[in-house]
Amino acid sequence: MSKCLGLFMPLAAAVLMPGCGQGQRGPSTSPADAAVDGKYVLASEPQGAQGVIHVRENARDEQAVVVVGRIGGSENPWVEGMAAFSIVDLSLQACSDKEGDECRTPWDYCCETDLLPKATVLVKIVDGSGSLVASDARALLQARELQTVVVEGKAKRDEAGNLTVLAGGVFTKP
Amino acid sequence: MLRFRLIPWEYAIRNLFRRPLRTMLTFTGLAVVVLLVLVVVGFIRGLEETLAASGDPEVAIVYSLGMGKNLEYSSIPMRTGDLVAASTGGVRRRHGKKYVSPELYLAADIGLGQSGEAAMGLVRGVTPSVLLVRRQVEIEEGAWPRSGEVIVGRMAATKMGASNTRIAAGESLAFEGRVWRIAGVFSAGGSALESEVWCRLDELQQALRRQDLSLVALTFAPGGGFSDLDLFCKERLDLELQAIREPEYYAALQEDYRPVRMLAWLLVLLVAGAGVFAGLNTMHGAVVGRTAELAVLQTIGFARRAILLSLVEEGVFLAAAASLPASAAAILFVNGATVRFTMGAFAKHRRHGRAHRLRHGIVARTAGGGASGDTGAAHAHRRRAENFLNVENERKTK
Repeated sequence: MSKCLGLFMPLAAAVLMPGCGQGQRGPSTSPADAAVDGKYVLASEPQGAQGVIHVRENARDEQAVVVVGRIGGSENPWVEGMAAFSIVDLSLQACSDKEGDECRTPWDYCCETDLLPKATVLVKIVDGSGSLVASDARALLQARELQTVVVEGKAKRDEAGNLTVLAGGVFTKP
Repeated sequence: MLRFRLIPWEYAIRNLFRRPLRTMLTFTGLAVVVLLVLVVVGFIRGLEETLAASGDPEVAIVYSLGMGKNLEYSSIPMRTGDLVAASTGGVRRRHGKKYVSPELYLAADIGLGQSGEAAMGLVRGVTPSVLLVRRQVEIEEGAWPRSGEVIVGRMAATKMGASNTRIAAGESLAFEGRVWRIAGVFSAGGSALESEVWCRLDELQQALRRQDLSLVALTFAPGGGFSDLDLFCKERLDLELQAIREPEYYAALQEDYRPVRMLAWLLVLLVAGAGVFAGLNTMHGAVVGRTAELAVLQTIGFARRAILLSLVEEGVFLAAAASLPASAAAILFVNGATVRFTMGAFAKHRRHGRAHRLRHGIVARTAGGGASGDTGAAHAHRRRAENFLNVENERKTK
């Protein structure tokens, strides 16, 4: 009987294997694999950094600013293939800051949705000519969601009052 | 090739008929197991394929920030469509018309015909541009809705738990305080859109006393960038928008159904496992009850392996025979049966959407002479564009 079982079990397993498999996804290329471009990474923390809310309220167009915030604000705070990302004021609590919260994407600040629009700013890393760097910010800075960053750059306001920071360099806190 | 003498095949077959009651019981058990496995696998595959077919990789959705995946709760300004189209590069364009579809989407209590019965259904207010963006949509019956009319997906009846005759062209539906005549039926390549009721955006806004949209769907030109759209949404924080590629949206929905799918696969495993062990038990019984016969076979010179192979032949034959009525029952009674779920309804039919598209592809290729490899797609695309222009012209002449 044990020999019979030995023969039947692989046969049964073969029969039970689903015949129609789904297409396999190809390996994803992690931005973290790419080399860090030191040109935009600041070696030391710039002094006089201000919070996102303060800068949003007070910065004028073209004014030089130093902003500190945490990377987040939505489920995907990065912009694919571009050196741009959102940062959120340090006063806001990410879901992971709350004890017992098991949110899988705490950097989207889903517990603070009402406050988000006035506490978020988009950071664009620009080159010498002012053009947006066409490289993923994750690779460029070796940064991850909810990491605190200090951004040095220039404020850019649109007619609707939205603020974007055109950054020349970013310091990432460990 | 084999180093032992095999017992003739007929011997194994004859043995099955020697114990008819045991054979019949095993046969019935196996048939039930196969049928159950087909039903559950059909359920899982139907759900997966409906959600997979619903995402067009060239389409992105713009909706309210912080809404998760709940499009029905999303509210964005009416001007969003124009704003996004004007501010984002890479949106597909044809004859000066951008592939941008503003939509209002909600779940509503829908009254069915004169009976006054109501069921929960999905309503989408659309403009003719929807035909440019939702490329798999084809009008199967009737016409594009005019004032006071709706067009229903071919799975809308299932979604609302009603018969197809009650939700057909010429019948009426009541929702949001109005009675709407059904002008036609559309298909959408097996996607979740087929479970919806579509009406004109402006009329739905009037009925709801709303001036906003739920979402804007847009199609990118080949090589067009989702990143530009994403950057726009993240930059224009005052609009409180977020963008997502359509396949990612439906993949997220599929993720929500993961526990259901896992449970169903577990059921498959349990049913199949029970079948395997019942089979093993039967085979064990067959061996124990035939010890003398098997000993004689060994005595007259058949090797143990040959006897074992003969028993396996019996089992395989019985299982193959049992799978025939099970498959027939599945094809007759289960295949094409429809199941409701929160985002719509789907059919337990493995390849329906693909077969449907293939059929149209073949027709299109034949009509176009099949000169190039992409003739079918090009023809279908042209036909959709013509559909759109016809609807637009019709609208303008009114």
